[in-house]
Amino acid sequence: MAKLQRGGPLQGVRVVELSKIWAGPETGKHFAFMGAEVIKIETKDALDFTRFDTLTGDINKARGFMSVNPQKLSALIDIKTGQGVELVLDLLRHSDILVDNLRPGAMERLGLGWDAVRAVNPRIVQITMGMYGNDGPLAHQTGYAPCFCAIGGLSALVGYKDQPPTGINMRYGDSSYGTAAAYAGLVALLHARRTGVGQFVDVSAVECMTTMIADSMMDYTLSGAEQACDGTRHAEMAPHGVYACRDGSWVSIAVASDQAWTALAGAMGQEGLAGDPRFATLAARKANEEALDQLVSKWTAQQDVGEVVRLLQSRDVAAGKSCNSMDIIADEQLWSRGFFPDAVQPDGTVRPIVGPGAKISRPAEICDDAPWLGADTDYVLGEILGLSEQEQAGLKEAGITS
Amino acid sequence: MTALGNFRILELAEGVSGEYCGKLIADFGAEVIKIERPSAGSPTRHLGPFAGSGEAIERSGLFAYLNTNKRSVALDLTTAAGRDMLQRIVATVDVVIDDHPSGWLAGVGLDPEQVETRWPGLVLCSITAYGQNPPDERRNAGDLTVFHSSGWGFHTPGVGFEDKPPLKGPGRFFSHYEAGQEAAMYIAGCLIDREHGGLGRFIDVSMHEVMVSRADYVVAQFVAGEMDVTDWRGGFDMHGPGGIFPCKDGHIYVFMATPDQWAAYRKMVGDPEWARDLPPDWLMKGLTPERIALVRRDLCDWLKERGKVQAAHEAQELGITLVPVNTPHEVMESPQYAHRQYFVDVTHPVLGTVKYPSVPYRMSETPAAITAPAPLLGQDSALYLVGRG
Repeated sequence: MAKLQRGGPLQGVRVVELSKIWAGPETGKHFAFMGAEVIKIETKDALDFTRFDTLTGDINKARGFMSVNPQKLSALIDIKTGQGVELVLDLLRHSDILVDNLRPGAMERLGLGWDAVRAVNPRIVQITMGMYGNDGPLAHQTGYAPCFCAIGGLSALVGYKDQPPTGINMRYGDSSYGTAAAYAGLVALLHARRTGVGQFVDVSAVECMTTMIADSMMDYTLSGAEQACDGTRHAEMAPHGVYACRDGSWVSIAVASDQAWTALAGAMGQEGLAGDPRFATLAARKANEEALDQLVSKWTAQQDVGEVVRLLQSRDVAAGKSCNSMDIIADEQLWSRGFFPDAVQPDGTVRPIVGPGAKISRPAEICDDAPWLGADTDYVLGEILGLSEQEQAGLKEAGITS
Repeated sequence: MTALGNFRILELAEGVSGEYCGKLIADFGAEVIKIERPSAGSPTRHLGPFAGSGEAIERSGLFAYLNTNKRSVALDLTTAAGRDMLQRIVATVDVVIDDHPSGWLAGVGLDPEQVETRWPGLVLCSITAYGQNPPDERRNAGDLTVFHSSGWGFHTPGVGFEDKPPLKGPGRFFSHYEAGQEAAMYIAGCLIDREHGGLGRFIDVSMHEVMVSRADYVVAQFVAGEMDVTDWRGGFDMHGPGGIFPCKDGHIYVFMATPDQWAAYRKMVGDPEWARDLPPDWLMKGLTPERIALVRRDLCDWLKERGKVQAAHEAQELGITLVPVNTPHEVMESPQYAHRQYFVDVTHPVLGTVKYPSVPYRMSETPAAITAPAPLLGQDSALYLVGRG
């Protein structure tokens, strides 16, 4: 019986996580949000560096770590020792999914590669994550999120016209990659549940990124076209951009049809523009986009952002504020939908966390913050592995667990 | 054997997010029945890139990519007869995927509020820009709108570009792909306990919430009051000398933060005089504009003589996370992508045989596979409609 019964579609599924930083933990977080029991195995002298917070200095309250590890359990087992690895293998006998994103080759060196894992549990799903994937000529190279975007082709598509690419914000990559891994892992679990056969799921971060621009890749394979950076422009929409407002905010406006353009011109109080041959069709607006953007900018510069959004939305034009971090945490709709649920820490502290990206009927309860280091070692050794108190004490004394 | 061959999916979606979700499931072998408008077909058939010759609605590379392995049934849901037929098909499927605006499902007779009582075993997934019943000022949205309301847009590119406007995301459908991926993950999750209890679920995917949650590492710190909440465009970022830099044949990206990476960097650029006295952890604790400028100056000199692949090779050997900034043709030519067979040949009756991006995961037992190209409009109508009407 799992330690926590939170309901949700994955209640009763046990996941072991040997992962660090953001991507692997994100995969585990998705499982935990759906009700799985996710056990993070941590090794004392090889902690996830997100546990080290230069501000709080508290490994149990490290800000980055807490962000992506809510609802999980933590067991301290030294996987650099043979006995520690044996304990992990024992735990895997009682588990459904293993998630790892250690350096390429590290799992094999530890004795936790796929052959060793399936030998103890042929039903298990092992999800292994690497920047370039688990094998291939470049698999040994490593990197962080912006590296994934650069290699995968995303960075080259983001930037100002006639300037070197800038790439998307540097934080993008891990969470998307962690989601792809979770999807593939759940598909493998469905298969394992039906057939009794587990499998090895090898996920590549850079391929995840390329998949996010798949249609740009299709453009190249079909016609040899490579799109250059063009600020905020769009081949099939005009105007399509982010414009400065009177209050210093930015508003995004995306005009997808001639009808929407007529509505925008009306909102600008310049109905005459709608019939102006320079802007009457998409082709004409694309040909005169510089002038078009100047007209829109001139108008937004005289309005507050909220007014632009209300006016355009009331006329069925896609528009919204370009939100800064204050806007996001003050977003009434996010709060009213329960996107920031309260979570409780082991010392009783309650704080809001970032909830899941989807709402489901009969969801898992989301209530627990990230685990304190080693808080659940006893549960893993005692209740799951059935070790006696004496055996547990011996392991502690030998420094294998704590 | 395929992973999802025993599931039947009904795809009502007509946008990129829902069609992508359906594709992720179809490529694992599920039977995905796509409902399309008679004569016009899915709106994605009318979006580029276009190629080939012949009937216009069969020439979209976007549609071809998003709809591999699916069946196409032409059915007019604006008629009572069409909606009646829809009810009969719904009764035979495990999952329904939709991505129309909130309220549309009820209009075709599939009210999410009634799913639990009328189709208790059904997994019904709705993907919308801002979730069910959005506020009035969020009823209309494109990919750009969501990208910017989620925080990603405002913070792109980020620090160093505060005097320029924020940008769009990569490609045309970035937020749509993310929402489709989230939806597929939740569908797979919900199918797992349906295998036991038999009960389905309603899944409400808000593209906006998906995108905000993709920044969980920073947003969680904002909402908990642990990181400064500001209107600064660099507010998402880690700072340092890293970034995109020109090299002999294009650009590279480099990231450096740790003492080890600093030591390796010094070695890489020939241990310049000025760098020797800096504390080993200055990248974490002692960043100054002057130091960053010096690193970048030396790096740019070093890169002048090297192509991106060579630079990445040399830096990675030393333990520095330096990688090429690839354009589409360089992604396609990458020996790594070739080794993993990420691009696969697909033969389509109108578009011919070309390489398609596949999926980012390799599975030892039930790999995803494209066994059929995207369907021609209505090519499977007879199979699903005859004898039912």
